[in-house]
Amino acid sequence: MGYVSARGGLDAIRAAERLVRRLRLTSESSWLEEDQILEKLRLLVDRVMGEAGLWAPRLAAKALRQSEGDATEAVHLLRAYRSTLPRFAYSESADADDVKVERRIVPAFQRVPGNQLLGRSVDYTARFLERQSDDMAREEAEKLRSEASGTPGDEGGEAHDNTDTTQRSPQRLLEMLREMDLVVDRRRADDPEPFDITRTPARPPAARSALLSSMTRADTGALVNQWYRNILGPDGYLHEVTLGEVRHGALDVVVRHPVTGLPVCVTSVRVTEVEAIEDLEGVDEDRTKFDVGYGLCFGHNERKAIAMANLDIACHRDAGRTQLEQSLLLTTDALDSAGFLEHLKLPHYVTFRSMIERKFAMRKARNRDAS
Amino acid sequence: MLLDDLIDSAQSDELLDEFAKREIRRAILAAVAIPGYQVPFGSREMPVARGWGSGGLQITLAVVHDDDVVKVIDQGDDDGVNAVNLRRLVTTSTGADQTSIAAEASVIQSRHRIPEDGLDEESILVLQVPVPEPLRGVERDMRELARMHAEADYSRMWVSLYEDKVRNGVITQTTGYPCLVNDRYVVATTPIPRWDIPRLHESPFLTLFGAGREKRIYAIPPRTKVEPLTFEDVPFEVEHADGATCSLCKSNAAFLVSLPNSDVWMCSDTDWCRRTREASA
Amino acid sequence: MTNDVEYGRYPVARLAVPEWMLKVERLGRVYGPYDDTVITSTGPEIGSSKSAVNGAVVAAWDVSFEVAAGEALGLVGESGSGKTTVLRCLAGDVAPSCGEARLRTTEGDVSMFDLDSSARRRLRIDTLAVVYQDPAEGLKMNISAGGNIAEPLTAAGWRNFGKIRDRASELLTRTEVPINRMDDLVRSFSGGMKQRVQIAKALANSPSVVLFDEPTTGLDASVAAGVLDLIRSLLEEHRIAAIVVSHDFSVIEMLTSRCLVMQHGRVVENALTDQLLEDPHHPYTQRLVAAARA
Repeated sequence: MGYVSARGGLDAIRAAERLVRRLRLTSESSWLEEDQILEKLRLLVDRVMGEAGLWAPRLAAKALRQSEGDATEAVHLLRAYRSTLPRFAYSESADADDVKVERRIVPAFQRVPGNQLLGRSVDYTARFLERQSDDMAREEAEKLRSEASGTPGDEGGEAHDNTDTTQRSPQRLLEMLREMDLVVDRRRADDPEPFDITRTPARPPAARSALLSSMTRADTGALVNQWYRNILGPDGYLHEVTLGEVRHGALDVVVRHPVTGLPVCVTSVRVTEVEAIEDLEGVDEDRTKFDVGYGLCFGHNERKAIAMANLDIACHRDAGRTQLEQSLLLTTDALDSAGFLEHLKLPHYVTFRSMIERKFAMRKARNRDAS
Repeated sequence: MLLDDLIDSAQSDELLDEFAKREIRRAILAAVAIPGYQVPFGSREMPVARGWGSGGLQITLAVVHDDDVVKVIDQGDDDGVNAVNLRRLVTTSTGADQTSIAAEASVIQSRHRIPEDGLDEESILVLQVPVPEPLRGVERDMRELARMHAEADYSRMWVSLYEDKVRNGVITQTTGYPCLVNDRYVVATTPIPRWDIPRLHESPFLTLFGAGREKRIYAIPPRTKVEPLTFEDVPFEVEHADGATCSLCKSNAAFLVSLPNSDVWMCSDTDWCRRTREASA
Repeated sequence: MTNDVEYGRYPVARLAVPEWMLKVERLGRVYGPYDDTVITSTGPEIGSSKSAVNGAVVAAWDVSFEVAAGEALGLVGESGSGKTTVLRCLAGDVAPSCGEARLRTTEGDVSMFDLDSSARRRLRIDTLAVVYQDPAEGLKMNISAGGNIAEPLTAAGWRNFGKIRDRASELLTRTEVPINRMDDLVRSFSGGMKQRVQIAKALANSPSVVLFDEPTTGLDASVAAGVLDLIRSLLEEHRIAAIVVSHDFSVIEMLTSRCLVMQHGRVVENALTDQLLEDPHHPYTQRLVAAARA
């Protein structure tokens, strides 16, 4: 029997905590600085912030270090910390048109006003695993640093930031399509309060803002898997869309000062934004037009934003026919799914005892009926 | 509330901010006002994982003051590691004292058991709930589930009990037996054993159910009718093993668990067992 | 007691029934937006229930009738005639666009279309039952035959396992389902057997109204004959007000004493079943009768 002796449980936990802490802090290699995590593992930091629903790069770096690289564990640390923080203000609505793009691609057209801007992406880089030694890597870094030092804005290589300031926020493709009258207009005349999933759990049928909020902080893998399963799996209720636009860039967050009432920029976040164009061909739809799905998440996380945009429009067109909405609202959260899965490790011996008892009761009943 | 106060509370050992506690208390009040109804609430993330008692913990943190005494058990055992972890979180963040004696506790947080004795009008029992939906086995769609509860349409539940009895000769629900509360709502009684179910009926104590992952709170107020769903000619059966007694205290008046493939039994309520032994010594 | 009254465009025999159990007045169901021009652009004289004005479908319009206890009324017509639409509106599966349906219960008259979903559900449990063409619509395939009958019984408040089983056996015996199959999953039954289980389930709470939607369509001729025979004897035994929907006049002939003929959503003829078979007036009825005789 596991935990019979008095004080055994507390001792066990303390011993486990000490062990984890000691091994984590006293490993042979040098101390892992927050800056190293922020710079060298920036995409992991972005992913963790996105899934935690909390923009706090330094805290995310700390969390990743504490969790020894377990992304979901880091998300848990961030969200639990978030629970201790009182909410004392809401930001002003941020206009996605104000994002200063660092990367912007429009697969739907070859050329667009504002240009295709590949930016910092490995999409077209060959996936060769670099096996140079650390020394050689350091040498290369030194060389690149000294090349760059004389030329401001030169990011090492031929990539220049050619866009002027107006092109940092280029007109989005959706607007152009609207001007061509090719898009169903689902904009609302009123401006409803967005559904706050951190205060009220969302259940189907839910407002679109509830669905989008749930997806924006969903587990990346879960969203990608939902998308993939629905395209290829037996359910198959998703259509592949044409991506209208993929953007990544910085967005200012503005809050009204509690005393002066003046707008104050409190920080700049980075977001990835995707608009997905869906071809309408349903009987009850306007087949002369397209519709659009929307995806937005913290940090640079394109596969999540793309999956989100696809699933947004799929859910709208599904209109409650299937349980897609329920799936998205309730099975994509990293902590809910991982926590519940791992809770199986907790003792369940009371239930198991009860199950065994019913097995014997069934046999007794069967013998009784047989005789 | 001054910004300073808010900042102070954020720096303390508090696991939940004050507004969150207020929200949770409101959900609790709604739950008590409508026995058995699952009240949605803005469930916060806790230092314990979802599925590990985050809901029970939030309820406990919302109702406990520093003059309370808390008992925390898992499978009936105060010393279970998860119970230990939860208990120290509660006591350090609220300043409450701890005990293993149910009669001394004002708030008892428990996973999967009701303590064998010691609960009275002054007690609050907080149960940890993995899945709050009793109809989950017969329906998956949440919209349909909402309708079934709203219209008290539990016919599918009854059909599944009928099929169970027909197929197996007995009703094979193990723990978490579905009960009709206050003649209105069917609830999932968390995975507490059938042994504990009768004590919910007309209990002197308040029982609060916290499902953190599913974001629901429900309640059975004191002196409320709680009936396990069964046919009038199919008696409700608690767990039973012929001749089994606890190898430590020699009693069979408490819920017993055993070692695998063995006739060695033990009380699941470790503190009840200890006191029984001490009383007969 | 027949008065020939002309209303709408079609002269129909207005059969006044002194003790009606179910009374339907000017029931209509339109898919899509509609007004008078839309309505008048559809119907048997136009030859379609789909409006040329805006594409709306007038699935049923201006349907009125009464059914007494112990009486069976037929609704006959080809597919698309609107007969199934009428049945589904009465069953509560589809919301009507207009019209009234009154049911006589022990507590007085109930206006069926004014009930909320909870009250509607109670009506389906206590008073009104439906037998669908496809047994999968009226039964749960992964539940036993007895379990399917237990559903309306428990919904009506039965809580005694032994009594539930007795009642289920009694009903299955009456509908000639072998008792040793009572605990088998309905999925494993033949088509005819499934229909018998569905009928047994429909009778569980002794309803005063039963709606039959093409009860034997899709069954083998010999199997169908057996089921029809069963329905006929059940209707004789119990004082049920029944509505039988079928495209097959021989089914109508066997089961009903009066019937309505529908085409393109409208009632085109309304008379005693025997009279209709003997001397059909409307050309559409004539065609249907001829088909049945062939």
